[in-house]
Amino acid sequence: MSVTKLAYYPGCPSEATALDQHISTEAVFEKLGVELVEVEDWNCCGAAEAENPMLVYALNARNLAIAERASLNIMTPCSICYYNLARTAKALKEDEKLSAEIKGIDSSLEYNGTITAKHVLDVLVNDIGMDELESKIVKKLNIKVAPYYGCYIGRPRETAYDDPDDPVLMDKLIELMGGEVVPFTQMKTLCCGGPLMMTRADIAYDMARTILGTAKSAGADCVALACPLCGMMLDAKQPDIEKALGIKIEMPVVYITQLLGLALGIDASKLGLDKNAVDTKELLGKVV
Amino acid sequence: MIKTWELDPGFKDEIMKEPGGEHLTSCYQCSTCTIGCPITEIVPSYNPRKIIQMSLLGMREEVLSSPDLWICLICQTCTARCPQDVGISDLLSAIRRIAEKDEEAGKLKIESSRPLFDTAFLHTVEKYGRLYDIGLAMEYYPKREGSFIAGQKAMMKDYMDFGMRMFFKGKMGPLGGHGLLKGVLPSKIKKTDVMKKIFKWAEEKEK
Ligand code: SF4
Ligand code: SF4
Repeated sequence: MSVTKLAYYPGCPSEATALDQHISTEAVFEKLGVELVEVEDWNCCGAAEAENPMLVYALNARNLAIAERASLNIMTPCSICYYNLARTAKALKEDEKLSAEIKGIDSSLEYNGTITAKHVLDVLVNDIGMDELESKIVKKLNIKVAPYYGCYIGRPRETAYDDPDDPVLMDKLIELMGGEVVPFTQMKTLCCGGPLMMTRADIAYDMARTILGTAKSAGADCVALACPLCGMMLDAKQPDIEKALGIKIEMPVVYITQLLGLALGIDASKLGLDKNAVDTKELLGKVV
Repeated sequence: MIKTWELDPGFKDEIMKEPGGEHLTSCYQCSTCTIGCPITEIVPSYNPRKIIQMSLLGMREEVLSSPDLWICLICQTCTARCPQDVGISDLLSAIRRIAEKDEEAGKLKIESSRPLFDTAFLHTVEKYGRLYDIGLAMEYYPKREGSFIAGQKAMMKDYMDFGMRMFFKGKMGPLGGHGLLKGVLPSKIKKTDVMKKIFKWAEEKEK
């Protein structure tokens, strides 16, 4: 295993709505013997709300620069944080003028392109690797899982680290842990609706319902995902969606790090499994 | 009907000058973007190809005042599939920024609450360095509803169930999160002075 230490960029949801993802990520990496050093005094990446790319580049240059000064690659559990970090790294590397201009804002924004940005899922499967993970797995997950990838994992091309139409990284992990992947290809990369949650909830709820409903009819015990905004939309908001649309969904939604933590033998309470909005107890009974 | 006397031939260049808008003229109107768009599935009138066509024709007013601009998910599905690398998700974002500038100049009234939400979000980032949910809500709802009282009511309606759920799951509110007041008080970074500089620079760049 080549990776032993990483800069960790938790992102804003890690402090509140995605606390479960945050603690399960930390627990999993500790168990795997990879040291995570939280990016000192990190700032927000701008999420989808910063539409001006220049603002995105400047905000993310600071976080990249902090990790670079520690000579560590930077890893985040959030898809949009990943996208913003990765596209900034690319833009600054390719455009010297821009890079110099951003450094001119404040010297702490000097990023020289010597470290890269990665998403947790990419690090787990591609850097730590399947063999290493397999050797540490002690429990079997007797569950059927709908792997949901959402946006930015397979698109756009410039920053993608999996297939745009049929991504497989989570599928591989689920199978490695003894779980069964239900047929879900059509839904894997459909947007969860999250960006419209606060301004056009009608559209957002409709999209989330399609994804959750498909998982249910495919016979899944849970949906697995790798982004706190998808988690917010599909899990935290699920009871609101049920109420607004007058339907019952009751589909547990867990982070892939929570599932991996279980397979690695970490206690459920240390993985935040009591914090998911939709109850996860039934799943826990199927881990042997 | 297209009224030629209302067309703005400079609109094309205006878009192409915005970061993200550069590849507008590469579009050959194949519709691949629209066929794969998840919003088109739900709102059949939504048509990114047509927004490009209208932009190319110089239909500035129609494009900028269209409420459809504000229901794009920025999901990048269109970008990934476009055979011409138009970068349409970013292009739509460039058009939205032109609309926001027009609104700021008093030339346009945007029929969507999304710019209010984005602005409120970014205000918290500028001030604290991180997203502060409660600060966001306290700015967004009153602006959206047009008054403080109506804003508070709308906020309560949205947050009643959701907020309590997050509270009982220990994710927000007193005793939630990793600290006593996590989520209630902003999580403020040390270098907020750098945030101010960043926002000021980016604003200058937009002009
Ligand atoms: S897919 Fe690309 S080339 Fe085709 S209509 Fe859309 S933007 Fe134009
Ligand atoms: S980015 Fe917008 S236009 Fe493109 S596919 Fe997604 S919702 Fe449709």
